[in-house]
Amino acid sequence: MTTIQSRRSRQIGLKTILIVLAVVSLAPYLFMVVTSLKTNQQFADSFWQISFPPHFENYSVAWNQVAPYLFNTAIVAGISIVLILVIASISGFVLARYRFGGKRVIFGAVLVLMMVPGLANLIPLFILMKNLGLLNTYIVLVVPYTAGGVVLGTILIRNFVEGIPQAIFDAARIDGAGGARLYRSIMLPLSLPVLGTIALLTVSEVWNDFFWPLLVISDNSLRTVSVGLQFFQGQNVTDYGPLMAGYLIASLPLVLLFTFLSKYFLAGVQGGVPGAH
Amino acid sequence: MFRWWLYLALLPLALVIGWFAYYPALSAIFWSFFHWQPAGVSTFIGFGNYATMFSDQIWWSSFRNLGLIFAFTVVAWILPLLAAELLISLKSARWQFAMRTLLIIPMAFPGVVTALVWGFFYSPNDGVINQALKAIGLGALAQNWTGQGSTALLSLLFVGFPFIAGLPFLIFYSSLQNIPTEVLEAAQLDGVGRFARFWRIDLPLMASQVRILLFLAVVGTLQYGFVAYVLTGGGPDNATMVPILRMINVAFQGGDWGYSAALSTTLFIITMAISAVVIVARKRGAETTDGGAM
Repeated sequence: MTTIQSRRSRQIGLKTILIVLAVVSLAPYLFMVVTSLKTNQQFADSFWQISFPPHFENYSVAWNQVAPYLFNTAIVAGISIVLILVIASISGFVLARYRFGGKRVIFGAVLVLMMVPGLANLIPLFILMKNLGLLNTYIVLVVPYTAGGVVLGTILIRNFVEGIPQAIFDAARIDGAGGARLYRSIMLPLSLPVLGTIALLTVSEVWNDFFWPLLVISDNSLRTVSVGLQFFQGQNVTDYGPLMAGYLIASLPLVLLFTFLSKYFLAGVQGGVPGAH
Repeated sequence: MFRWWLYLALLPLALVIGWFAYYPALSAIFWSFFHWQPAGVSTFIGFGNYATMFSDQIWWSSFRNLGLIFAFTVVAWILPLLAAELLISLKSARWQFAMRTLLIIPMAFPGVVTALVWGFFYSPNDGVINQALKAIGLGALAQNWTGQGSTALLSLLFVGFPFIAGLPFLIFYSSLQNIPTEVLEAAQLDGVGRFARFWRIDLPLMASQVRILLFLAVVGTLQYGFVAYVLTGGGPDNATMVPILRMINVAFQGGDWGYSAALSTTLFIITMAISAVVIVARKRGAETTDGGAM
């Protein structure tokens, strides 16, 4: 009995397996960090170990090339987030709290889009943008993220607002609040967590999306991170230190957001599951 | 009383999804019946593009690849499932939190970084895998992993190994956490061991989540493409071709926009059909809203 108890309280075997799994999962990223501080000579001499002195100048080399991509990504994500939050919060509020003709049809039209991946629209949307003369602009990047974001955003906000007790809205209406006032003073402050989740998901989407920016942007100064990095890889293919430093710089903002706000991130990832609504 | 301002409030939403989601999708269906020349005169060819599709070897072999990718993805869930079971068995809450955090960190990295680093792992000369093989005296096994037809698809599949950081792990873990302690205590009193618990309690209680995951995996697999684009470009000799890449190549390299629209429409219809099944399967979900309306 005592042996069982001591095994249970320590769980050495269990912890070992989990640590091995974590190390294997993280190995590529650890290798990236270690290599990012090496010169090519150090890389050739000691492939596996950390070598000294560490070369932090790799980071400034990489920064000069990667920073414009980060800047573009931030701008596109910022504009998309503002548009998505404004449109989706108004629509979600109206769809959750009012009765009117055609409500089910409108919400159904949004729900259907939840099932359609953006990639299915790649070719026709490209031609649409080309005909509008918008290729190689920030606008062409913002459009599909906004269109995708308002779909998920409207659904998440509607579901969230439906969960707010009706008594709160009724009390405000007795005090003379109109629709705009209810939206601004009650619904928005209460919905901050879900708005944060939507903003984070948008950042993640803009950061990760690949084919759209690949096809609509040919001007290197307008590229966002994912396509920019691929171009950057082509430029530095034999310069391993700066290459890995660049990968790390490009990952860092997303990793930091994820680390400090993982609760909202995970809520969004799981809330975005089609069919969960 | 007709409250016109409610419709005004919904107008931006309607404009955005109408113009940038419904219109392109419908126009793809329309143009798929044409020899579509966006800059010139398009001619109607009926089902010509679809006829081309049925005899397109590359297109169908790209679906064979998708089938393999899907099968591999689902089988690989064993790893996140194992990790979730191990994690839930940890008695120390602090250890559980620390290990969970470490295991999901890779989710935070941009997908393209993961793909590029794995590409570096596979590279023929300085690649980590070949260097590791040489270091343990198996240099003869070193390969050009992504450059030869026999290993290219396998290389793509192993990107992200051990596949723990992702939605399946999060869903397995949270559904294991949500099993009521009374159930587990009752099972313990009846002498149910750890393995029996897995088969008799954990798996049955996870069944509905696994069903959602399966549908998501199908839809996700249909969109598979950018890892292949970054690592192999669909090659060598179309060995890693997937439908999305074929659709893009047909349009942007072949200039055959009508055919590409037909491929796009086909993917769209497949996705919609699968999603319709999801909705029907989920329809039984409980309505848990306050129900108030004005």
